Amino acid sequence: MLRRSLVAVLLFPLALAAQWPDYPSQGVPKGPDGKPNLDAPAPRTADGHVDLSGVWENRRANFGRGGRGGAAAPLAPSGPPTATFANIGAGFPGGQLPLHPLAAEVLKRRKEENSKDNPDAHCLPMGLGQLHEHPQPRKIIQTPAVTVIIYEANSGLRQIFTDGRPLPPKDVEPWWYGYSVGHWEGDALVVETTGFRDDVWLDINGSPMTNAGKMIEKFRRPTFGKLDIEVTIDDPSAYTKPFTVAFHQQIMLNTDLIEFICSENERSDAHLVGK
Amino acid sequence: MREAMRTLLVNSLLALALAAVPLAAHHSFGAEYDANKPVTLTGVVTSIEWTNPHSHFYLDVKDDKGNVANWKFEGYPPSVLSRTGWKRDATMKVGDTVTVFGWRARDGTNWAHSREVTFKDGKKLFFGPPAGTGDGGPIPAVDAK
Repeated sequence: MLRRSLVAVLLFPLALAAQWPDYPSQGVPKGPDGKPNLDAPAPRTADGHVDLSGVWENRRANFGRGGRGGAAAPLAPSGPPTATFANIGAGFPGGQLPLHPLAAEVLKRRKEENSKDNPDAHCLPMGLGQLHEHPQPRKIIQTPAVTVIIYEANSGLRQIFTDGRPLPPKDVEPWWYGYSVGHWEGDALVVETTGFRDDVWLDINGSPMTNAGKMIEKFRRPTFGKLDIEVTIDDPSAYTKPFTVAFHQQIMLNTDLIEFICSENERSDAHLVGK
Repeated sequence: MREAMRTLLVNSLLALALAAVPLAAHHSFGAEYDANKPVTLTGVVTSIEWTNPHSHFYLDVKDDKGNVANWKFEGYPPSVLSRTGWKRDATMKVGDTVTVFGWRARDGTNWAHSREVTFKDGKKLFFGPPAGTGDGGPIPAVDAK
């Protein structure tokens, strides 16, 4: 009996403690009813900037549990069209991006192949468009000199330097997530990123971006609970003109990221079929 | 088995009706699974892998002649299962009899993408995302990977 109790005591916490237990988020504004007031003004850092720090989930990716940001919020009625996970250009007429013929051919081929070569399907890093839209959350940690984004999906990691350094020269070693520097324009953190690899998948359809591409992201936190990201893709090799799309996220309270190690038990690779 | 075949037929018709909805690849869903081959199977859970990038469980499924085949079902990673109310080693255990709805692998093996698991007490939970979604659509996305 004693042994069984011991076993139960030992096993019970193991069954439940698969992640950090919920813990109250700090500095959450409360309404008169004591509940979180997600419409309160965004917090600010000691240097006066809006503080983007927090755990954020895509506004369409609500996991349906109480206390984690509430119901899925409606998308902004104005502003750039909203990107989707499958198609960053979904909000444009016909879902069409201003592709050069060669880039259109790349996208067509990727779609015909059932997106089997999407890097994410092989545990390789996703394009930043996919990471902004991914249903798994991301955590922003803002400091005066650098803002770090940890994407739970595929353990993506970005550093956005705000210490005044310039972007690296054009012949820098291409990176999956590129090289990012940021500056403040009013309450928007404007992030410029260059130095991408040539084979970026902006979405899971496979909308391309090349090494010539520059991504400009404007991060705004209009209220405590909302984060809006406007993304402009300026890639003269793939697109006839720059285009801008929006991503909308909401705060997740009292919770944190969960470890995600993609190559832990990857079994799909052997089953992927193209055309 | 006849019941399973009937379910298969109904689901196939349903899939045809739904085929008008654009089926966007999701973690290369279309490269791995066939959204036009839905499958509903009842069996006994033989093992569970609570792993990334996908969790899996295995089911011993018996046909009306008594032949047993072991099927493998893929689903959400542990992070999504945790957030949607699943508890490892508690919600579904080896030895449980469950009914699974999902879609078959395109390579024709006893491998499928699981969507809904129905437990003996009638409780239903999603173990994986809907077929081919990722493009938003009318249902709020809860799918990851």
